[in-house]
Amino acid sequence: MATAQELVEQGIRAYVEGRLDDARRLLEEALQADPGNARARSYLLLLPGGLLSGTPTRPSRTVPAAAAPAATARATPVAFPAALATPLPFVSAPTPPDPDPDPNPDPAPLPPAPATPHEPAVADFAPSPWDDGPASAPSILLGAEGGLDLDAVAETSDLRTLVPRAGRPSTPQEDVAIWMTAAKDLLSLGDFSGSLEMIEKILKLDPEHAEARDYLAQNESTLVAMYESKLGPLGKVPRLAIKPEEIMWLNLDHRAGFLLSQIDGTVDYENLFALSGLPRLDTARILAALLADEVISA
Amino acid sequence: MMSDQDPVVGIDLGTTNSVVATVRDGVPRVIPNRSGQPLTPSVVAVAKNGKPLVGSLAKRQAITNAENTVYAAKRLIGRRWGSKEVEDARRVLPYELVAGPEGNDIRVMLGGRPVSVAEISSQVLAELKADAEAWFGGPVTRAVITVPAYFNDGQRQATKDAGRIAGLEVLRIINEPTSAALAYGFGKKLEKKVVVFDLGGGTFDVSVLDIGQSVYDVVAVGGDTYLGGEDFDRRIMDWLTFNFAKENGGVDLRQDKMALQRLRDASERAKCELSGTPTADIHLPFLAAAGEGKAALHLTKQLSRDKLEELTKDLVERCIAVTEKTLKDAGVRPNQVDEVILVGGMTRMPRVQRAVRDYFGKEPCKGVHPDEVVALGAAIQAQALAAPAAQGGEVLLLDVTPQNLGIMVVGGYFQTIIPRNTTVPTNQTHLFTTVQENQTSVRIAVLQGESDKATDNELLGEFVLAGIRPARRGEVAIEITFDISADGIVGVSARDVDTGQEQSINVTATSGLTEDELKRIIDAHLDDQLEKKQSSADLERARARVAATVDEIEGLVPAVQKALERSRFGRDAVQKAEGVLARARLAQEGKDTDELASVAEALDRTLQLFKGLAATPPDGA
Repeated sequence: MATAQELVEQGIRAYVEGRLDDARRLLEEALQADPGNARARSYLLLLPGGLLSGTPTRPSRTVPAAAAPAATARATPVAFPAALATPLPFVSAPTPPDPDPDPNPDPAPLPPAPATPHEPAVADFAPSPWDDGPASAPSILLGAEGGLDLDAVAETSDLRTLVPRAGRPSTPQEDVAIWMTAAKDLLSLGDFSGSLEMIEKILKLDPEHAEARDYLAQNESTLVAMYESKLGPLGKVPRLAIKPEEIMWLNLDHRAGFLLSQIDGTVDYENLFALSGLPRLDTARILAALLADEVISA
Repeated sequence: MMSDQDPVVGIDLGTTNSVVATVRDGVPRVIPNRSGQPLTPSVVAVAKNGKPLVGSLAKRQAITNAENTVYAAKRLIGRRWGSKEVEDARRVLPYELVAGPEGNDIRVMLGGRPVSVAEISSQVLAELKADAEAWFGGPVTRAVITVPAYFNDGQRQATKDAGRIAGLEVLRIINEPTSAALAYGFGKKLEKKVVVFDLGGGTFDVSVLDIGQSVYDVVAVGGDTYLGGEDFDRRIMDWLTFNFAKENGGVDLRQDKMALQRLRDASERAKCELSGTPTADIHLPFLAAAGEGKAALHLTKQLSRDKLEELTKDLVERCIAVTEKTLKDAGVRPNQVDEVILVGGMTRMPRVQRAVRDYFGKEPCKGVHPDEVVALGAAIQAQALAAPAAQGGEVLLLDVTPQNLGIMVVGGYFQTIIPRNTTVPTNQTHLFTTVQENQTSVRIAVLQGESDKATDNELLGEFVLAGIRPARRGEVAIEITFDISADGIVGVSARDVDTGQEQSINVTATSGLTEDELKRIIDAHLDDQLEKKQSSADLERARARVAATVDEIEGLVPAVQKALERSRFGRDAVQKAEGVLARARLAQEGKDTDELASVAEALDRTLQLFKGLAATPPDGA
């Protein structure tokens, strides 16, 4: 049986992957298990329809807590600065819970539905020769170079490449658009860490994404404080927590690669900020991510 | 007042790296820096985030922050603006040089402000001083500092000024080759002719010394001020860059400062490793961006010792060619040399050692670590100066003139009045005459240097002696007297022997800084130190206060728990206190005095609560 926290994380994953129905189901299950779960509530507000009647409600409007994002769940818990622990004011008020939900709810002020809301099902694909009964052993044709001659197979059988009839898997560009929207919405709901999680996903895919970088610049001081709080005391000396040969298997950009190369067990965080030559926000962001991913420890 | 028991240190203030050493229990030893390393890079920087950096941290961002990272300051110290050496340096240094306020010395633009070269060197010296103080556990205020044998009085004075700014009394400035020979104890043995082959990070110096009965005479100096370990590193970098471009569709790592910084560090590491092993693996994961949406590129390469020797063959040959020329100029054949001392990290390279052995026909001395030998010699000399009564037959070097002192004579030649290595104080007089018929005045240019050509030497000052008796050329006798005081002030006088007409000048070695400027810098440095000590003391006090309260609270926990068993109030007091204690432990690890003060207040409240609960009588509730 999954815990409320696990359900929330699965729900967020489903949300960012565009599986909104799954996201709603998982987040609602999370709220059943833990009616006060602020995170689940803030993500549900992002879904079309927001918090539905079936969802346990609280008497007062929920302000999402600045909790650690899912990606950093394995990190050592650290205290947030007092300024961040204070609930942030709403920029735009969320829709209050509706006891009698409209089957076609007005999406405003909730975010527009993601561009790829439809999860492809078996029915979306072209018929398979196996649909009508057990498969007979196909004849195998070899091409001139000894490989399977796919063209010959196609000509002599009904085998065709599976093609989605409608809908298609989302592209990275579409993911980025969803995450950017989600980041803005979460920010407006006061969920800084959740918003940041979305921005990190974008920057991981596209480190130079202009809008994401603008977002970081506009919220720099708050974000730096948040990232630094994840690092703990800046006098601590981080060390590599994985074997050096395992670094190759990480998914880093060259700037993170540079910063990681400077972590040799002799330099504390404060000096890494000086060594990096990168803006403080970028350095803090990369270090927090490396710490969260247990690539480094301090 | 300093006692003889206060620690003294010897400092090798190098172009690329510096080392501090001392003599403890009669044994000379290197003092590791606070990171545990024997060598501290002679690099000073202001990081992009404004933080001042010295040593290895400054070096590690030298490429990514080249405009605000000063290295090789030794090439500039005590030099004059506009000199050939400064112009050469300006062509290769990435940081900006400007003329000083007097127009004749150099300032380095660092962090947006002009800084004297002596101040830059003082920051390296201050770092070494702090390392030594951490090692001794007390203040270190006296030092012997080494300089190249070819340094003139101005450069030596600038080095002394750097020591003063750093808060060090410079007991003596000694020559690097002399210091290396001292470390080998050659002064105690029979007369020897020694060659010091010093291949450092940025410069190559070769010196021929005649040593005997405590006299260390540097008879010849040669070298190349732009040949050193960094050139070897650059060859490896070029090889890696070329191969990387070949394997990755022409990606040029030289355009990426971060990649270049990592390449340089890795090249240096591989080079050092290859002195002990036949191959070195270079792994630089996520080194460079491959383009939009593509994964970053890795560099993985193996470098063999043979390949390194092939890449750097001409550099080693240049060292031997310079050595050959220096010995030839000094009239010394290789087989006349009794010992060859290897100095500088690059001499650990087997190919360099083979080349030296092949040229001199004998094994070079390897008893002392080549990186440390100069500092160890300086430490031995510092100990001899600080406690002369206690020295066990150690050589006490005398203050000598580092280069010939003299005047310019007809034809643009240099006439030596006081030769190199003359013990000071001293005075010498020479007689000169006029060169023209009825000449009534003469211009006296006071120079220092080793060249026969006057213009190749350093001009210390000049004056005119007028009112000379008109006479046929060669009939007038003019007496030139050089007088060097114990303080190193050179007085030069010219006197017409017949008329008694006299003119004189006093020349003091100057670093380019005026005394007022020097005092201002020293005062500012002291203020900085005081401020740092003050904030450090504040931090320690705040931490101590928090630690004491934490101890007191923890001591009360059993009594509080007992009291809570019989109380209806404050049942969550221990749980809440644990939260406060956790915050306190986190604050103790940090450097934020405000956070420590805030935690201290929370702890005080908890302590008062606990005291109250612990004091609750058994029937109280």
